[in-house]
Amino acid sequence: MTIKLIGFPYSGPTMRVIITLRELGLPYEFETPANFEVLKTEDFLANKNPFGKIPVLFDGDFRIIESRSICRYLASKYQGKNNNTILIPNDVHKAGLVDQFVSFEIFYYDPPAFKFVSQEVFAEKFWNKNPDPEIIKQGREELIKVLDIYEKLLEGKEYLNGEFSLADIYHSPYTHYVYGVAKHSELWDSRPNVKNWWNRLRNREAVKKTLEEIP
Amino acid sequence: MAIKLIGFAQSPTTRRVVLVLNELGIPYELESVTEIQTIKTEEFITKKHPFGKVPVLCDGDHVVNESRAICRYLVSKYQKDSKTVLYPDDVHKASLVEQYISYELSYYDPPLSKVLYQEIYAKRRGEPTDEAVVKQSLEELSKTLDIYEKILKGKEYLNGEYSLADLFHIPCAHIIYSATSHKDIFDSRPHVKQWIERLQNRDAYKKTYAE
Repeated sequence: MTIKLIGFPYSGPTMRVIITLRELGLPYEFETPANFEVLKTEDFLANKNPFGKIPVLFDGDFRIIESRSICRYLASKYQGKNNNTILIPNDVHKAGLVDQFVSFEIFYYDPPAFKFVSQEVFAEKFWNKNPDPEIIKQGREELIKVLDIYEKLLEGKEYLNGEFSLADIYHSPYTHYVYGVAKHSELWDSRPNVKNWWNRLRNREAVKKTLEEIP
Repeated sequence: MAIKLIGFAQSPTTRRVVLVLNELGIPYELESVTEIQTIKTEEFITKKHPFGKVPVLCDGDHVVNESRAICRYLVSKYQKDSKTVLYPDDVHKASLVEQYISYELSYYDPPLSKVLYQEIYAKRRGEPTDEAVVKQSLEELSKTLDIYEKILKGKEYLNGEYSLADLFHIPCAHIIYSATSHKDIFDSRPHVKQWIERLQNRDAYKKTYAE
């Protein structure tokens, strides 16, 4: 029975799930809603996501929402089955640290990165608004502090917790948007450990393919 | 060697961890932070939390930070020694618990934190309360709780059985009830109200908030 993913290829959270599916070597069907309005219809709210958001994943009859929950579910159920890629370590101490890095992503990395993404990528394209320079400035100051900390965390390591994990996947979509689309690559490239980490990440098959598919 | 928890005793993030320690009956020492400077030192940043925050848990030599990561770690390691199940073994049930944990992060905590910041922390810092932020945040939280009202219909807890997802919601809800005038946002919704009451009646809740 197939996995079906509903989402938009340019949405950060959807990309998290697509990268995970690819890393685990899982086949899936991808359905893109016709427009944003579809997400607020009675049918979508009742049968897909009561919060009117994407991504939504169906695994047979089983439905799950919220990108990081979806990714975690896929890893728990399928990791090691189609290939050797392990996204959540079996060792409880290592897994604890992966969760810690996921928490850093959610609370410290994502918010300032999203300030850039919302203003420089989405504002004009989707919301018909001008970018707000004040928000961009704040985002930059915050992100610089975070990347300075990541520079130390990544010392002597290829990935955040040493080995590749879910935590690294989660950072990818918005990093790509700020680095490659909004073109602030110097923020990463001026920090050697961070630069190597991002290069390593974006050259992984699964990540590269997903980023290339952004329309 | 006992588990050591470093944090601000009254903060919701520290209490999130204390709730899990109490639910699972794990003994621990609380090292209370009294001055914010202690968590901004070179040593703390290098050895405990690179972002200079608490709570931080030390389990022998193993150090974990970030409250939800700490909670998950404690459950993974110690749940098998306890009668209380906070995280199901079944992969499908576990993923739904994760889903509800994500609702807490994405739709519940952000507006709720803004209300708490304006009504409690801003005042402590001598900043004026921004009523517009409070109003907008309460509206956002209302929309979320309308959805929770439907989710909780016919259920005692978010995923049927009590789990980590319910527990994560407790600390900020507790502050709304005990220190603000906004508890009607929960109490005006019957299923949500019963859910909160059930949470408040758990032994671990009573133990955590008696301290």
